[in-house]
Amino acid sequence: MWNRLPGVWICVAIAIASVLFALLATNAYYTSLVVWVLTNAVLASALRFVLQIGELNIATAAFFGIGAYTTAITAVLLGWPFWLTLLLAPLVAGALSALFGWVTLRTKGPYFLLVSFAVTEVVRLIYTQTNAIGGNSGLVGMFPPMAIDAYYPALAVALLAATLFALYGVERSDLGRLFKAIENNDAIPRSVGLNVVLLKVLCVVIAGSAVGLAGGLHAYANNVIAPSDFTFFVAILALAYVKIGGEGHALGPVLGAALLTLVGQWVAGISAWENIFYGAVIVVTLLVFPGGLVGLAARARGLVTRSAR
Amino acid sequence: MELFVQLLANTLQIGAVYVLFALGLTLIFGVMKIVNFAHGAFFTAAALIVTSVVPFATVELGVPLWAGYLLAAIVAIVVVLCLGALVYSIGFQHVLKDLNGSFILSIGLLLILNGAYLAIYGGAPRTVPQVLPGTVSIFGAALTAQRLALVIVAAVVTGGLYLLIERTRLGLALRAVAMDQEAAMLQGMPFNRVALYGFLIGAALAACAGVLMAPINAVTPVSGDEFLIKAFIIIIIGGLGSVTGAIIGGLFIALIESMGGYFFDPSTATLAMFILVIAFLLVRPQGILGNVE
Repeated sequence: MWNRLPGVWICVAIAIASVLFALLATNAYYTSLVVWVLTNAVLASALRFVLQIGELNIATAAFFGIGAYTTAITAVLLGWPFWLTLLLAPLVAGALSALFGWVTLRTKGPYFLLVSFAVTEVVRLIYTQTNAIGGNSGLVGMFPPMAIDAYYPALAVALLAATLFALYGVERSDLGRLFKAIENNDAIPRSVGLNVVLLKVLCVVIAGSAVGLAGGLHAYANNVIAPSDFTFFVAILALAYVKIGGEGHALGPVLGAALLTLVGQWVAGISAWENIFYGAVIVVTLLVFPGGLVGLAARARGLVTRSAR
Repeated sequence: MELFVQLLANTLQIGAVYVLFALGLTLIFGVMKIVNFAHGAFFTAAALIVTSVVPFATVELGVPLWAGYLLAAIVAIVVVLCLGALVYSIGFQHVLKDLNGSFILSIGLLLILNGAYLAIYGGAPRTVPQVLPGTVSIFGAALTAQRLALVIVAAVVTGGLYLLIERTRLGLALRAVAMDQEAAMLQGMPFNRVALYGFLIGAALAACAGVLMAPINAVTPVSGDEFLIKAFIIIIIGGLGSVTGAIIGGLFIALIESMGGYFFDPSTATLAMFILVIAFLLVRPQGILGNVE
C-alpha cells in the first residue's frame, strides 16, 4: 500500500464491507465486535499518529474518556440532540488536547511520557470525585434515537473508518512530512522558520479529536461508561496494537487492533491469563519481530518499507 | 505542636518507602535511560515472598518470628535479584537507551508478572504477623515500633546507596555511564555490565521496600503498582536520574500526602499532587535537580 493506490482502494473496499456487515448482520454480538475493533483501531492509530513526532502520548486514553464523557453528559444530563452530542465529542477533546499540548509539549521524551500518564490519572480521578457525573459508577443511558438505533453500528463503523482514512490522509500530506521531520531532528524544521511547538500541538490535537470522536461513539455503542474504562491501561493496550501491527505503516495499528481484539475475545474471562497473554505477545513481538506484522510482511517481500525506525 | 510532630512522623514513614522505590527507578533511568513500568513488580514479588516464607519458617521450621522474617527478607531479595537478572538478560539488555521500546517491554513484563502473581497467589490480600509489636512515643507523636524500624532501615539503606554512588568505583562507573555513556565506554567501562549492576541495585531497592512494607500493609498482586504512579511523580519532581532529587521528591510527596490526607481527604491529596506536578513542569520541566538535554 506504501506509494501504491490499489492498496488504498482495497482498504476502502474492506471499510465498505465492514459498514455493510454492521448494517446487515443480525447478531448484535458480531456488530458490536466490529465497532469495538474499529474503536481500538482508531485509538492505536491516534497513538501512532503522535509517535510520528517521536512522543508516546498516554493521554490518548484520557481524550478517549473526555470524548465519551462529553457525549454522555450532553446526552444524558442535558438532553441535547444526538448529532450535536456526537459532534461535541471531538471538538471538546480537541480543544482540551490543545490546552494539554500547549502545557506539556515543552517537555519531551521520558518527561512527556510520564506527564501524559499523570494527566490521564488526574482526569480519571476528577471523574471519580465529581458526583454530578456519577462518580465512580459513571453514567448510564446513552441511547441513539429510535430512528437511528437499528443503523447505529453501521454509522459508528463508517465514522470510525472515515477517521482512520483521515489520519492516513494527514500522514501522507505535507503536514505529515513536517511531523516526521520533527521526529528526526526538531532543530532542522526550526532552522527553516517553522514553529515546532505549534506543529507538535497540532499533531496532538488531530490525534485527540480522533479519539474524542471514537469516545463519543463508544458512549452510544456501550450505553454505559465509567471512570475505570479510561485508565492509562487503554493507552497501553493501544500501544500493544501498534507494536504487534507494526508502527512502520498506517495499516499496522489497524491490523494489530483487529488481531488482538479478536484473539482477546477468545482468551478473555480469566484475568490472570489474559494479562499473561497480552504481556507475552508484547514481549515476544518486541524482541523477535520489532517491526510487527507490517515489518514482517515487508521483510517477506524483500522490501524495506519500514520508515523512520 | 503535637499534631505537627505526628504529621511529620507520618510523612517520614510514608516517605521512607517512596524514597526507596523512587531511588531504584531513578537509578535505572539514569544508567539505562529506560522508564521501567515493571519496577512495581519487584516490590510486589518481594512482599509476596515474605508473606509465604514467614508462615513457612515459623510453622514448618519452628523458628521465632523475627528469625523467620529475616530469613524471608534474604530469600525475597535473592529471588528478586535473580528475577531482575533474568528480566535484564532476556529483555532490557536489547532495548537499552530506546525509550519507547523499553517502555513497551516493561509494560509487557508487568502484565506477565502481575498475571503470574495473580495465578500463583490469587487476588486476596495477604498479611504477615506483626514482627515488632508496640508503639513508640517521640515528642508526643505515637509511632508503631514497626514503622519506626521501617524509617530507620530505609534511612540506612538510602545512606548506604549514597555512599556506594559517591565513594566506590562502581558508583563512579554508574555516574559516568549516566552522564555520558559513550564517553564512559571510550574510557573502557563495560557499559553492559554497569547497566546490569545499576538495574540489579534498583531491583534490590524495590525488594527492600517490599520486604519492609509486607508486615505493615496487606499485600496483593498489584501492591507495587500503587507506589509506581507516585514514584513516577517523585522522580519527575526530583529530576529523572537524580539520586538527591528522588530523596527530596519522595519526602515532599509524602508531606503533601500526609498533610492533605489530614486536612482534606486522601483523594484530594492525590489530585493535588498530580496538579502540582503539572504546574511544576510548566515552570521547571527538568525537575529540581534534573539536567537539560
